[in-house]
Amino acid sequence: MSDSPAPRGEGRAGLHSAVELIGRTAARRWGDVHEQVSYIGALAILVKLTLIWCWRGLLGSQVRFRWNALLDQLVRVGVRAIPIVVLVEVFIGIILALQMAPTLASYGQLEKVADIIAIAIVRELGPLLTAIVLSGFAGASIAAEMGSMVESEEVKALRAHALNPYHFLVVPRFLATVIALVGLSVVADVVGVFGGLLTSVLVLDVSFWGYIDATQAALSLQDYLTGLFKAGVFGVLISMIACHEGLSVRGGAEGVGRATTSTVVKCIVALIGTDAVFTAMFYVWGI
Amino acid sequence: MPGNDVVISIKDMVKEFPTASGTPARVLDGVTLDVQRGETLVIMGGSGCGKSTMLNCLIGEYEISQGRILYQTKEMDKPGDIAQMSEVKLNQVRKRIGILFQSGALFNSMTVAENVALPLQEHSEVDDAVIDVVVTMKLQQVKMLPHRDKMPAQLSGGQKKRAGLARATALDPEILFYDEPSAGLDPVTSAAIDELMMDLSKKLNVTSVVVTHEMDSAFRIADRMVMLEKGRVLSIGPRSQFESIRDAAPESLKTVDERLINQFLNGSSEGPLTDAEGMSEFEKLIGVQ
Amino acid sequence: MSISTIKEIRRGPSGTVVEAQGDIDLRFQPEFQKALLGVCGEKPPRLVIHLGLVEYMDSSGVGTLVKISHTVKVNKGKLVLVAPNARVRSIFEITTLDKYFTILDTEEEALEI
Repeated sequence: MSDSPAPRGEGRAGLHSAVELIGRTAARRWGDVHEQVSYIGALAILVKLTLIWCWRGLLGSQVRFRWNALLDQLVRVGVRAIPIVVLVEVFIGIILALQMAPTLASYGQLEKVADIIAIAIVRELGPLLTAIVLSGFAGASIAAEMGSMVESEEVKALRAHALNPYHFLVVPRFLATVIALVGLSVVADVVGVFGGLLTSVLVLDVSFWGYIDATQAALSLQDYLTGLFKAGVFGVLISMIACHEGLSVRGGAEGVGRATTSTVVKCIVALIGTDAVFTAMFYVWGI
Repeated sequence: MPGNDVVISIKDMVKEFPTASGTPARVLDGVTLDVQRGETLVIMGGSGCGKSTMLNCLIGEYEISQGRILYQTKEMDKPGDIAQMSEVKLNQVRKRIGILFQSGALFNSMTVAENVALPLQEHSEVDDAVIDVVVTMKLQQVKMLPHRDKMPAQLSGGQKKRAGLARATALDPEILFYDEPSAGLDPVTSAAIDELMMDLSKKLNVTSVVVTHEMDSAFRIADRMVMLEKGRVLSIGPRSQFESIRDAAPESLKTVDERLINQFLNGSSEGPLTDAEGMSEFEKLIGVQ
Repeated sequence: MSISTIKEIRRGPSGTVVEAQGDIDLRFQPEFQKALLGVCGEKPPRLVIHLGLVEYMDSSGVGTLVKISHTVKVNKGKLVLVAPNARVRSIFEITTLDKYFTILDTEEEALEI
């Protein structure tokens, strides 16, 4: 840059700097893209290693599967999250019922509120909102825990004792998050529909049995399974992002804080993005 | 080839880290030294001299960029280079070494006894009753038996190191590495840890490699000492050699290296160590070679 | 590599002598323990473990002997260790376990006391 003579004219200078700005921005954006791609690559490697160690632990004879660790994580990730998931999903049921009621009433179709709630919750909001709750509840705490283990040299100590951190730390958290998320989604589906039922019966004067019948008619097994499938994938995303962020912590307590925040942010973006892709795919395939 | 009594033979070890600017930072620049069986070797040097990096390379935490690190442990028929080993082979070596980390690095979710038992549970077929006896023995050795059921968070700094030492010795290693054993401890506790280290290395005939910058501790425990400076071995020799350099008057020492070691060992603020740093900064500013 | 840690078992009127050999470490501990527990099951009045040919014993080996000593005591027998080398003896000393074991130099002594 410094070698080339500076352009004299005002206009040319403006043009020059504008081109330069575009070039630089493009370069920076390209850098961002590059970073995103390598992040996804790193996650893919983590998923691969985790699956290998799941396989070795569950089916191989060389390493002992740590059932106690899995149980501890299930309690921590799944059981403890039940109250908050119940609370959120009840509210969602209530909100959906109240939001839909005026529009449906104007068409004289108020009893359709049960169909909308059933589909929305079972296919979409049950798994998604549970996943979002869990990324704050479990994702952040996994990232913080793993981050502080890196900082206190515990992860290094594991390796030094010839113990594999993936086997020891990642696998139990991964399996627990996936299992918990699928389980919690079932709870979320039931509770969400219950929230809608409560509001419809008490506030909107829909009959109790009418609502139940409409819900049963609206839902097919397929709706239920697509929802749970998504929940499983969300569980993979949350646990892998959280473990990746935690294991790559650098720089003390501040680094742990950063990892926690970025886990939640990345989880939410990844969850909703993945959900959109799945929904589009299911729509095209007609599932 | 290392002789019979050499446990670790390091040859031309280079470790570089990538940097943002593209030119890698060379932290270890051709380190060559042998660790003899049963000795206590102390690695010293100022901050940034590469001693922690060296420890991390020796325990297989970092991959070295060039050179080799030959280990000769009991089960190996011939020395093996950990830089070339598969993870499985490396883990075999790792089971024969123990490491005391700076903060103890205990697993915070487990009690002290569970921490010590873990390597045995994972790496042997020994039944729980015998593991329990071994754990008791190991905790007794470091005088931590009364604290066996405590969680790491309930322990003081010195107790954490003792528990860490018990865990490091769980598999009866041949080599013990210590990362700054005195760091963060008061002088009395630090002396007690030194005492324990000497006790273990003499009675169990383990080889100890200690990384430290605490000179009191270093002179208490060392058989031989190594001084690192800017990623190179500045000097290596028996403790007595370093003692005589330490006790000499700086003016009487002939080489810059000796004066530098003298300054470091005495912890004085004036000498070639600080001069060199000051000069090089000015040289950069003024631009003289 | 299937060297047994037990060289010989001699059963006599005053007790059973188990002659151990080689390295008693994590690799061979399960086998060593199984053999000794087998002998314990016979409830000999006196169990003498001859360690003269044992080159190396690690903590798990010592741990096994502690466990065996307990079993022998439950059976109202007596456990005597014979002729450990300096290295093996030191591992008993460092853990202060030498106080709880009868350690003698020869097999004859062990069978007499």
